[in-house]
Amino acid sequence: MSKPAMQLVNLKKTIGNKPIIKGLDFEIRAGEVFGFLGPNGAGKTTTIRMMVGLIDITEGDVLIEGKSIKTDFKGAIQHVGAIVENPEMYPFLSGWKNLKQYARMVEGVTDERIKEVVSLVGLEKAIHEKAGRYSLGMRQRLGIAQALLHGPSILILDEPTNGLDPSGIREIRKYIRNLAEKENVAVIVSSHLLTEIELMCDRIGVIKNGELIAIEEVRTVENEEALKEVYIEVEPMETAKTYLDTHLPNAVGMGSKELSMSVKREEIPQILKNLMEQGISIYGVRVLQATLEDKFFDLIGENSIE
Amino acid sequence: MSNFMKLIWNEQIKLYAKKATWVMFAVLLVIAIGGGLITKFFGTDSDFKEYGDDWQTELQEENAQLTAEMQDEEFGGFMNDMIIAENSYHLENNIKPQPYDGWEYVLENSFLTSVISLFTIIVAAGIISNEFKWGTIKLLLIRPISRTKILFSKYVSVLIFALTLLVFLLLSSWLVGVLLFGLNGLNPMVVQDMMPGYAHNDVLGEIVKSYGFSIVTLVMMATFAFMISAIFRSSGMAIGLAIFLMMAGNTIVAFLSQYEWSKFILFANTNLAQYTNGMEPTIPAMSMTFSIIVLLVYFAIFMGAAWAAFTKRDVAGN
Repeated sequence: MSKPAMQLVNLKKTIGNKPIIKGLDFEIRAGEVFGFLGPNGAGKTTTIRMMVGLIDITEGDVLIEGKSIKTDFKGAIQHVGAIVENPEMYPFLSGWKNLKQYARMVEGVTDERIKEVVSLVGLEKAIHEKAGRYSLGMRQRLGIAQALLHGPSILILDEPTNGLDPSGIREIRKYIRNLAEKENVAVIVSSHLLTEIELMCDRIGVIKNGELIAIEEVRTVENEEALKEVYIEVEPMETAKTYLDTHLPNAVGMGSKELSMSVKREEIPQILKNLMEQGISIYGVRVLQATLEDKFFDLIGENSIE
Repeated sequence: MSNFMKLIWNEQIKLYAKKATWVMFAVLLVIAIGGGLITKFFGTDSDFKEYGDDWQTELQEENAQLTAEMQDEEFGGFMNDMIIAENSYHLENNIKPQPYDGWEYVLENSFLTSVISLFTIIVAAGIISNEFKWGTIKLLLIRPISRTKILFSKYVSVLIFALTLLVFLLLSSWLVGVLLFGLNGLNPMVVQDMMPGYAHNDVLGEIVKSYGFSIVTLVMMATFAFMISAIFRSSGMAIGLAIFLMMAGNTIVAFLSQYEWSKFILFANTNLAQYTNGMEPTIPAMSMTFSIIVLLVYFAIFMGAAWAAFTKRDVAGN
């Protein structure tokens, strides 16, 4: 296991008397994509703002490459590139001039580096247009470019695929995976698009009402030994249902074309074999994966804001 | 370039990328040209009159004629009085009158520094609050640069902007002045109406004094607007308050001058010219030193409040 790029140590935020974040403890490793998941109002953005020092930490700390954002802001933040909420830009400056603004604020970002980043996010054509004329997708790309300029070891992206078209989303996803795997960058992605997170993250932290309620490896969600929803297209349906009811009492439902049942993955071959032995024709079998979305809603219950 | 210089460079780029900034320069230029044309074509003849070697006789004749005029007409005596008084000053002190020139035009245009104050207030009010409005403050504050440094780079940028406007005003007034009126040498002496009395001063010194004193108000009001902008993160409020106070300042002081503590009001102290040329200060018992100390205290409070608001507070919800 690689060393943590970022550590949250009993991180708390209280506004007035109201605890917003109630003690977060987790770490993000170099080279992994960490998904930060939670319903609206759960405290995702508040946590991200504390990670980058935009708001004060009430208690606890955020350590970036071992340096405290509270006591060594410059030492910590220089390893971070981020988009916090929307990728805002100076609308009256061109994309290029926007990037130059940020390039001047750190050491050693050359024009070549800016060009490199611009081509990475695929914004070469529009880079000399005013950012105010950009579409949301283009602003998102410019936002990512801005975050990558100084070659950070931790990248924090709030809703990075927001406003991108499907091919843009795929590119960004590929690019984020690439950054993590090849450049060993720790990427923190917050999103409400669960399928997105599932596709690009290694681990997911679920936050609800300011508390971390689960940290999951994405693969365990996929390979889980829970009951799966299986749909089998059979002919004749009645015979099949009568037969299956004797083996799986109350577990079989009948749709217009398919039978549905909740079984374990390992049981599927035996069921099919039995059906075939009964002379029933099988035209198709679908296994509905227990998606992250189901998992997510199982974990957080209803979307309530306290 | 050092870090701080780069931040200032950034601010200047943002400033001049906006049309509103160029409009400010254009307005100053239009006023400078317009004012010059009005003076040239509607000014009083006596200002432009060139006197020969026998100027003493000419002045005496002029005075006699004006006195006669005053006896004929009941009105219009005020202007004549002034011209006679000025002519007499020239005669008594043996100073040959010189026609109106470019230098005098530059000196007269020092009233335009209040327009510069206005523009500087607008820029100072927006330089922090706009970042919040655009949401770019988040991108600005997550760089390895302290908030203090960012704040001061913005403040210095405001001052640089004010200085640029000032230089622009001086240059354009001088050019318009030279083209329309010519120059009476490199640093001619001018006779000025000091109310009461007249004085004979070198024009460059007067220009420096006149613009210099007006910079005090400019800097104080710009700093005030900058502070409001940092505290409330709203440019409208900062512009409104600063302009209102700048306009109403003297009235407020006059209204409260009966009270002993009114001498501590900012606006009672911004006009340092009140201590020069033998003028009486608005409130007796005040002195140049007193005013400078009061101004410095206000300045420190404004900057301290702006700094505390900018560096200590959470940046949330933008």
